[in-house]
Amino acid sequence: MSSVTTTASAAVATGLATEERASRLGRGVRLTGFYLLLLIIALIFILPYLMSVFAAFKPLPAILAQSPLRPPTSPTWSNFSTLFTQYDFGRYLANTLLVTVILTAGQVIFSMMGAYAFARMSFPGRDSLFWLYLMTLMVPNIVTLVPLYVLFAHSHLLNTYWAIFLPYVLGVPYSVFLMRQYFMTIPKEVMEAARLDGCSEGRILWKIIVPISRPIIITATLLAFVFGWNNFMWPLIVTNSNSLNVLTVGIANFNSNFGVEWNLILAGALVALVPMVILFAIFQKHIVNSISLTGINR
Amino acid sequence: MSVATAPTAALPKRRKTAAAEDTAERRRTIRTAFAFLAPSLIGVLLFLLIPIVMVIGLSLVQWNMLTPMKWVGLSNYVNIFEFDGFGHSLIVTLYYVILNIPIQTAFALGMAMLLRQKHAGSGLIRVIAVLPFLSTPVAMGVVWNWIFSPTTGLVNQFLGHLGITGPAWLSNEATAMPVIAFANIWQYAGYNMLFFLAGLGAIPLSLYEAAALDGAGKWEQFRRVTLPLLRPTMLFVLVTGVIGSFQVFDTVYVMTAGGPGNATQVASLNIYNTAFAGFRIGEAAAMSVVLFLIILAITIAQFRYFNKRITYEIA
Repeated sequence: MSSVTTTASAAVATGLATEERASRLGRGVRLTGFYLLLLIIALIFILPYLMSVFAAFKPLPAILAQSPLRPPTSPTWSNFSTLFTQYDFGRYLANTLLVTVILTAGQVIFSMMGAYAFARMSFPGRDSLFWLYLMTLMVPNIVTLVPLYVLFAHSHLLNTYWAIFLPYVLGVPYSVFLMRQYFMTIPKEVMEAARLDGCSEGRILWKIIVPISRPIIITATLLAFVFGWNNFMWPLIVTNSNSLNVLTVGIANFNSNFGVEWNLILAGALVALVPMVILFAIFQKHIVNSISLTGINR
Repeated sequence: MSVATAPTAALPKRRKTAAAEDTAERRRTIRTAFAFLAPSLIGVLLFLLIPIVMVIGLSLVQWNMLTPMKWVGLSNYVNIFEFDGFGHSLIVTLYYVILNIPIQTAFALGMAMLLRQKHAGSGLIRVIAVLPFLSTPVAMGVVWNWIFSPTTGLVNQFLGHLGITGPAWLSNEATAMPVIAFANIWQYAGYNMLFFLAGLGAIPLSLYEAAALDGAGKWEQFRRVTLPLLRPTMLFVLVTGVIGSFQVFDTVYVMTAGGPGNATQVASLNIYNTAFAGFRIGEAAAMSVVLFLIILAITIAQFRYFNKRITYEIA
């Protein structure tokens, strides 16, 4: 009788042990699978950059002869120096930087002012104007492209720096909307107290609202900067002189003229991509949080 | 006299000045508010509202920007389908959207599910996956041109090792559009993953525990708990994704320029060519209006579908 129970309990014990071992084994397999998947995902996102970097430091014959995954044996800067001396990539880079900085500064400051007026000031017609802004969010960019071009042609603004950033520099509804939603969460009392102390609205915005609202301002700044840097279609149609080209237009033109000179064209692509990677490396935490922030607000 | 009446007259007078000050103050606030609003309001008027009215007007004329406009009524709307292949462009665009959106959304959701639990390394992958969102589409287009190039590209070299001769991806009618769709999936999947991660984070764990107690397996839990509660996120991701995809331009311009033949002649490329290569402003404007109406209709349909489903879920 007692022996029966002991064998039974022993059986239960060994059963438990194998079960535990099996589940630990299962966990191990699952974890290995998990990390294998992570590795594949990481490779998918990293490989295109890595290969372009390799290629940009190789001469053309090496690119044609070697595997794209092989690092350059004797890295050379010659592709970049060709782009910057024989072609105008220095100019393109400077143009892009100039236009993007102006666009970003204007868009953020003017959107912020608009957002503050909508969020915390009262004036007649406020709600209907805000609705108007919201409605324009629904309008795809491509729809306004042709009439905007006509407007700019009639104002003799084609082929100027102004043309490139003007449509986006005065503040855009999306940015106004994002910041307005954020400003609405700041208690009214803060501003009323400041007003009673004789603070002007400008000072309230600059000294009180801006410091509290750093996350959303960084979000708006990053979105504007990325948009300006990557913008292609609009600069493509409003400029047609080489000296005004931004990087995207320069790369596209280069691509249609020298499409198979992979050494130069990939180096050119990196001139546009690397600053964004650096921006990302510095602000990655902000960027990841920012994007989530834009989602929650919807 | 003034001395005698002073105490009685002063009171209403002071009240009056206070009221006057109040309206003056109010007027000042309104002025300040409009001053704050002015730049963005001018921007919205000049660069959004006026162009929308203009595009409708322009769609009713024939105009090459040099000779005077000629009123042609609705005939542009017929001509773009008969002579400019806009019907084909719309079909090609729709094909692109269908290739792009479901895979991109599934990939983004899959990654979010995978990275949901905090394991060592998942934070790093989360960051890596978002990087493509920032990268210049035009520059990436060039990189994809190389990766998918017939002989020197990674893809065909890899296939070559397996003994397969890969196609000339971007100059093949069957493969060009899927490659372009792949490029855009690569670019935006990580970005959309962030929204799904935020959405997943908002689902209370107790719901899963309750479902598990009721005997729901992992798949059942995903279908009955995760998906229904992700609907607002799903709506956001789909609406923004669809609006963006219908306007795809940069990658197409750099990777195929509409070819081979006109297999990838998407709507925005057709608008671009009609307006800025052919200088047929009226036709391009008509195409813009049609594209706008289609995007609007699909957006409204998505809102309706998801709203209905959401109310159904609550009931």
